[in-house]
Amino acid sequence: MPVKWVLHWQPNAGTSVNSQILTEVSQCAESINGVKGGRWKATLNFYRPMLKDQVNPAEFPRDFLGISLQEQPSKYYFVIRGQRIVLEADSNIQNIMEKLQSYKSRVALNFEGFQYQLGDFQLRVGKVVPLHSESLRGIVMEIDYLPISSWEKSHQIMSEFYDIWQEALQKRSLPGHFARMEPNFGDYGLGDQYTLPHTAVQYASIMLQMIATAQSVRN
Amino acid sequence: MECVVQGIIETQHVEALEILLQGLCGVHRKSLKIHELCLKSGPNLGTSPSEVRLLCDLEHSEPAWTVRHVGGAMRGAGADQISVNVRTMVESKVSSNVLRLFYALGYKLDHEQLRVGFSFNFRRGAQMTVTVSSVNKMLRLHATDEAVPITPGIQLVEVTAPATTENYSEVAAAMSSFCEYLAPLLHLSKPGVSTGVVPTAAAAAASLMSDGGGTTL
Repeated sequence: MPVKWVLHWQPNAGTSVNSQILTEVSQCAESINGVKGGRWKATLNFYRPMLKDQVNPAEFPRDFLGISLQEQPSKYYFVIRGQRIVLEADSNIQNIMEKLQSYKSRVALNFEGFQYQLGDFQLRVGKVVPLHSESLRGIVMEIDYLPISSWEKSHQIMSEFYDIWQEALQKRSLPGHFARMEPNFGDYGLGDQYTLPHTAVQYASIMLQMIATAQSVRN
Repeated sequence: MECVVQGIIETQHVEALEILLQGLCGVHRKSLKIHELCLKSGPNLGTSPSEVRLLCDLEHSEPAWTVRHVGGAMRGAGADQISVNVRTMVESKVSSNVLRLFYALGYKLDHEQLRVGFSFNFRRGAQMTVTVSSVNKMLRLHATDEAVPITPGIQLVEVTAPATTENYSEVAAAMSSFCEYLAPLLHLSKPGVSTGVVPTAAAAAASLMSDGGGTTL
């Protein structure tokens, strides 16, 4: 499986994301000879515990996420970031969670957009929108380097591409930039060979950043 | 959803049962060694308590984990007329850190057991699985190498068949029909309805063992 970096749009202080930025980012991908391909989509669910009254919610994880990824629609990924847990399951684990009624999905987000091919790289640019809404909450990007599946070995070439991408984007003078988190995959029990659980962990990490950004904009 | 019946058989007759099943099913048996962990939600979690089972298949070099949720059996006049339990059942394969995940979510280990035996998976009017196993308890937490039978000399037989709301009647009928072939050796009934061992078991087993299943019971 090719290595993937997941990036999220970090707006400058005092600004927020909007659809014009999304358009500019997509155009930038095409301007560096990205060949537009098909659509892509991922879905993320925030789970909250169902608690009896007067129970201290701090006893239960606040960062329990479920993620479905386009690469493997028959699978579903749970992440509890605070405890560095990532679980791969068949997608009907969601049915089991519904039957247990101990946790419910409170917020669902779609990540959706278009793919672009650039030689050995594949880019995905996507808007972040709540389910059944068009209200833009963020922008994400995925960069795949198709020839390599080792996280370590791919680092240099991915960094070089990331620099080229940032440089191309800067020419458009947009109020922000794409940031990335590099989780410690070892803490999650994940190795050097890239897998879909690695992607799930990256999405969980950027969600933390996106929530923090949204809160600081509100404040 | 699944249809299910259960029964018990004395360990001394399991070999005869295996011969009978081999003849009836026409497939090879699969060995079975499953570590089953029953987890229950902690006291504050959920508006009502919930239970989930984690199954670790130890038969292969790499343990394979499954999460299973079993719902309550169908009730009412319709259910009373069927000789099998019809209940919701959802299973999902999961990666090996599933126990850690459920502990982190606030679930606690209620009990664990080790099932050792064999199963036959075949089609006879419906896709069915017959499992024959000893049910063992661990003397120390998770110590599957130190398991002892909960009921020495007695093994559990379970017949299950996947079903849907549209076809459960047909599946139940196929299952009942199949169970009649096992009647000389054991009686299968709805889980929770215990009927004990059958008096003809010894004679039936002797007959099976003497000619390897050639006798029609």
